[in-house]
Amino acid sequence: MSSHPRRNPRALAVVLAVQLSTSAAWAQSQTGQSPPASTTAPETAPPPTPGTEADTPSDAPALSPEEMAEIEKALGADSSTRARPSGDTSPVSPTATNDSGVTPLRLPSAITGGTSFLNLSFILDLAVAAFSSKEPLQGGAHDPTQNGFNLQQLELSIGSVVDPYFRFDSNIVFSQFGVEIEEAYVTTLDLPANLQVRAGQFLTRFGRLNSTHPHAWDFVDQPFVMSRVFGAEGNRGLGVEGSWLTPLPWYVEVIGSATDAKGEATARSFFGSSNERVLSPLDFQLTGAVKQFFPLSDDLSLLWGLSAATGPNPTGYRNHTSIYGTDVYLKFRPITEASAQQLVLQAEVLYRRRQAPEDLLSDWGGYAQTVWRFSNRWATGVRYEFGTPAKTEEGRVANDPLDPEWIADRQRISASVTFWPTEFSRLRLQAATDRVGWRATPDYSAFLALEVVTGAHGAHAF
Amino acid sequence: MRSLRLFAALLAAAVSFTAAPARADLKVVASLPDLAAVAKAVGGDKVEVVALALPTQDPHFVDAKPNLALALNRADLLITAGLDLEIGWLPSLQMGARNNRILTGNPGYLDASRFVSLQEVPTTAVDRSQGDVHPGGNPHYLYDPRQGIAVAKGIEARMSQLDAKNAATYKANLAKFTQEVQAAQQGWEKRLAGLKGAPVIAYHRTTAYLQEWLGFTTVAFLEPKPGIPPNPSHIAQVLAQGKARKVKLVVKEDYYPDGTAKLVASKIPAALIVIPGGTDFRNGQTYVQRIELLVSRLEQGLAGKGE
Repeated sequence: MSSHPRRNPRALAVVLAVQLSTSAAWAQSQTGQSPPASTTAPETAPPPTPGTEADTPSDAPALSPEEMAEIEKALGADSSTRARPSGDTSPVSPTATNDSGVTPLRLPSAITGGTSFLNLSFILDLAVAAFSSKEPLQGGAHDPTQNGFNLQQLELSIGSVVDPYFRFDSNIVFSQFGVEIEEAYVTTLDLPANLQVRAGQFLTRFGRLNSTHPHAWDFVDQPFVMSRVFGAEGNRGLGVEGSWLTPLPWYVEVIGSATDAKGEATARSFFGSSNERVLSPLDFQLTGAVKQFFPLSDDLSLLWGLSAATGPNPTGYRNHTSIYGTDVYLKFRPITEASAQQLVLQAEVLYRRRQAPEDLLSDWGGYAQTVWRFSNRWATGVRYEFGTPAKTEEGRVANDPLDPEWIADRQRISASVTFWPTEFSRLRLQAATDRVGWRATPDYSAFLALEVVTGAHGAHAF
Repeated sequence: MRSLRLFAALLAAAVSFTAAPARADLKVVASLPDLAAVAKAVGGDKVEVVALALPTQDPHFVDAKPNLALALNRADLLITAGLDLEIGWLPSLQMGARNNRILTGNPGYLDASRFVSLQEVPTTAVDRSQGDVHPGGNPHYLYDPRQGIAVAKGIEARMSQLDAKNAATYKANLAKFTQEVQAAQQGWEKRLAGLKGAPVIAYHRTTAYLQEWLGFTTVAFLEPKPGIPPNPSHIAQVLAQGKARKVKLVVKEDYYPDGTAKLVASKIPAALIVIPGGTDFRNGQTYVQRIELLVSRLEQGLAGKGE
């Protein structure tokens, strides 16, 4: 009250009353004129037309239990014929580049005033897990790894067009142990001759799965071949990548990149955790890939990729590791009639050769999975994985410097069920049996995982 | 080395073989077949038009197949419905196409919603708890032939800008298209005069422009919120509303499942009308033929002969 001169209490009450009534009148006049005459109604409001009855008309005839049962039956039939988006995503290339799958995109100017320079989204992956083994072999950095609750990741995607020539994208992952820049790169928008260049830190486009983030995965954990060959985070590094969309009549994309060969979790078959210095261009990891797409019919599509990566390893001077891979993605999704069915077959095989002192180690690994989306909100899938021990040139099991325990074949079979409340959330139940050749008994595991995506709406890649 | 040279020669041969001179002056890609049909009417034989989605596809959920990026790679003009309708799939195609002409903001990118007098623009803040809301307004505007004409005008202006030497042709085509639609429109309105004031139930919020044109009122939607599939309690409510309001028509697009709609229609009872989701552009259907089919379906429904 310091701003007011001293008054007697009655005068104060009068002043207050006057102030209150004027502010009330002001508020009234505001509300009286506020809704501008408009024929529009938000798409969210209940029935937009004037004269609509209240939501629950009390005088309406009630429904019998039989009618309710009938409604539920009809809904059940419908849920299998309603179209839904596919799960996986990426912004830069329709053949699954990098990225989280929730490419931040510009919101319409209607709500941002046209000044949306930066777009963000968060992806949260949580799981509750149970393992039969005390030391489960979960190699991926985003895999559930312990009994009980697991924070798989909290991923922040930030992206934006920089100017007419560049686009910026980044994926920053928060875990319980800290923050990590998974990806941060620039993509060109305006190069001639169908060329595109990425520079920065990015996941290489080796195969189909490597360049994607957990949001684009059909299973809760990643195939063990990825963490065995590339590392827990997948193959990535600081570097530069060029890609070319060929002028052939069908879709052929050719990709080449040079990246840093270091990192235990990102390039373990190359320099890995050893602290080697780059002395020549041969000390980078070089990656090449060719992706081809064949629209076999309106309903059936095939994406086929061939990849190769080569780079130095720390076992000796000029010792190199080469990795070759092929991936197929066959998708059946009827679009010439109303249907929510989708059947996807996806497989990748990797062959790795490592030069070691006086030897050449080679091994195979891969996975094959099929996912059937049988209704608009439900899907089920099965995945098979295998990995052979590293063999020497004579075909004996080698003493593997990276995975010394890996002396026999390993196979894992996983099955999952997915439920999508909307395209922004999914709930997954997954069970697996892991036949680890060097362990006495098979391992079993089960996950229940929840994923939510919030923020800017993302575009789905093929 | 020899094999490399052979490979290069093969590649060069393939390139020169496929890079045959294009016949059309302007290569146009439209996200939806309705837009493609309007663009074809304006462009005539001076343009080559490709539609990315099929009319039987829900335009919200289209797969970003790489061969669609190929069409965009060669396009001079991309026409989209805008208002976030294609946000789930078109941006990744645009980025993958390596064609800066059709990137958002450049002359080769045309958002057709700019020419439409929009319906259902939210006047309050929206979030996703309200379902799949389009913050810019309802994107299903090409059901209304008057909006079709407005969009055609916008397309003509852009085509004339990009391809000035054929501007006169585009202008003439637009005049012809406008006249054709307006002539048909009178007949359509006469045939559907009975719809004025009629209560209708729709599956998704696709009827905003249609009701604005024909004067019916959509009293309820089978989806409890846009994009959220129907659930029993909501359907029970809709059914009660339908009975109370004596609804005569239940409307849904052919890409939506028909079980629930059929049930609601039979219980009220009302005629179920399955409206085509888009122009059958690939088989040569025109925009006028497409609206004609839509009108005749509604007409049949009015006469009590639904599906």
